[in-house]
Amino acid sequence: MTATIKSNLPVFVVIMPLFVAFVLPTFARRIRLVEGLVTATTALGFLGAGYLASLILIQNGNPINYSLGGWSAPWGIEIQVSNLSCFFLLMVAGVSLPIALFAADNMTHEVGGPQQTTRFYALYLLLGGALAGMAVTSDLFNVFVLVEVATLSCCGLVSSSNHPWASEAAFNYLILATLGSALILGGIGFLYIITGHLNMEFASHELNRVWQGYPHVVWIAASFLLVGFGVKSALFPLHVWLPDAHSAAPSPASAILSGLAVKGYAICLIKVLYNVFGIALIQDFGIHRILTLLGMIAIIAGSVFALTQDKLKRRLAFSTVAQVGYIFLGLGLANSQSLTGMLFHMASHAVIKSGLFLAAGAIIATTGKNRISEMAGVGRKMPITMAVFTICSVSLVGIPLFSGFVGKWHLLLGSLEAGNRLAQAVIIVGSVLCAAYLFPIIRVAYFEPTPVADCRDPGLPQMIALIMLAAWVIILGVVPGPFLELAKRAAIDLLVMK
Amino acid sequence: MKTLLDSLMVNYPYFAAMILFIIGAFTVLTRSNLFKKLIGINIMESAIFLMFIAAGNIRGGAVPILDKANPKALYINPLPSALMLTGIVVSVSVTAFALALIIKLYQFYGTTDARRIAELKKEVASR
Repeated sequence: MTATIKSNLPVFVVIMPLFVAFVLPTFARRIRLVEGLVTATTALGFLGAGYLASLILIQNGNPINYSLGGWSAPWGIEIQVSNLSCFFLLMVAGVSLPIALFAADNMTHEVGGPQQTTRFYALYLLLGGALAGMAVTSDLFNVFVLVEVATLSCCGLVSSSNHPWASEAAFNYLILATLGSALILGGIGFLYIITGHLNMEFASHELNRVWQGYPHVVWIAASFLLVGFGVKSALFPLHVWLPDAHSAAPSPASAILSGLAVKGYAICLIKVLYNVFGIALIQDFGIHRILTLLGMIAIIAGSVFALTQDKLKRRLAFSTVAQVGYIFLGLGLANSQSLTGMLFHMASHAVIKSGLFLAAGAIIATTGKNRISEMAGVGRKMPITMAVFTICSVSLVGIPLFSGFVGKWHLLLGSLEAGNRLAQAVIIVGSVLCAAYLFPIIRVAYFEPTPVADCRDPGLPQMIALIMLAAWVIILGVVPGPFLELAKRAAIDLLVMK
Repeated sequence: MKTLLDSLMVNYPYFAAMILFIIGAFTVLTRSNLFKKLIGINIMESAIFLMFIAAGNIRGGAVPILDKANPKALYINPLPSALMLTGIVVSVSVTAFALALIIKLYQFYGTTDARRIAELKKEVASR
């Protein structure tokens, strides 16, 4: 029994949340059971991811290949657990567990009755399963299917809030995201037409052999994929859906959307660019320059937009646009330091932004106020929530001993290695701007005299979730050790041509 | 010029797919009616399906059912068609979900025009 589970673990981490998501609605009458099941599933996912990561670390980074249904690679669908997949799996599991804990108790008043809450959880698990799938898949068409599963469940999560604004935000999100997935499917189609393979490894091999014959098709495929994943991961000029969608969603949904969903698409883009096109082709076509430029614009523009927002959740949503810029910047600089930094920043931002959104959700739920200017004195009434908010803010700015620092430090080293002066400046200015839009919230909450009426810290499960996220932030900042090692190995894997 | 026309004649499904894709994308981005946006999405996805299926087609190829009597027969590539079945399922579910959202929006705002909804939202916010 255990041997079967062990050997099939790569597929279990994907299948389990999907399976539970479909079973969940039958228990809708017993909401406690539903909450327990969701927490147990995410906790099991975390254990599975941890076990896979330890296996990979022991094996010195040799990937585990798993053929679905016993059909081996070019014919069947292959799942590959590599350093990158482990890193992303750990990140997904580590963040979705506290969010699931936070959602317990809190959901009913944000979404409505037990039926709606159960549906919310089902969508939550579907999204978790799809993200885990994105981490391990090595098949191009599977990427498309998982992207679609994730998109639909994201839209469902946004619209699960009772407010009609949420429906509108979800509709806009759905239209733009579907445009993105049509582009992604088109890009995959062009790759299939010239290579005849959907498995990433085989497609990459074939593409690097024959691309000189079809440079235009390669260009079109790359641009379709770049724009498609760009829309989905809210790269700056294509981010228009994000602020509405992420601020209209219920808080736990905002946390997982901003923290994880956006990165899922980024991971898919990384896999397609580095595992299929390969670093040589990226540099031949100059794709890395486009990525760097777009990343820099996103960092500055996202931060400036965030500065002008007065609604708390909208400010955090624009901050996500800026942080996605760091991911694309790291991707574009294309050396091992910058890729390490990009991956680590991705993980630390996932933790930080979930913490920020959950703390914001707790504040908005108890005070009923969503504007920053109305939050005077919240810090004294809700000490632990605001402490978590502060830790996360400080970390996002990139102060040493917090997780945000490690990622930004490696990004900075990467930009030094690439000799890109502008990128160094942008990384530092981005941090300053980040302080400029996050610290005023802390100042208002702690130092403004007028105390808000009656509010206090949320219940025990929410507190555990918040403290867990704050603990992740500090652990990743003080002892990044094995996690950073995993990111480093993943970055080196990406740069090696197969 | 002649070679361009020739290649167009040979590759006409791709050309049709391209035109459909542009029509779809244009509709999505420029129309403010929510239904028209949705129709645009569907046209765009059909264009991609057409491209995939055209890629799997082989001129003179037979239905891909193995014929033991005739081992050298030419078959079309069934994989893209099979993949597009999945694609169609995805597109149908997107359509269903979007229609449900449109119903919800219509119940609240009384209109299916994106611009009008934005105006109404501003009025609510300013009040």
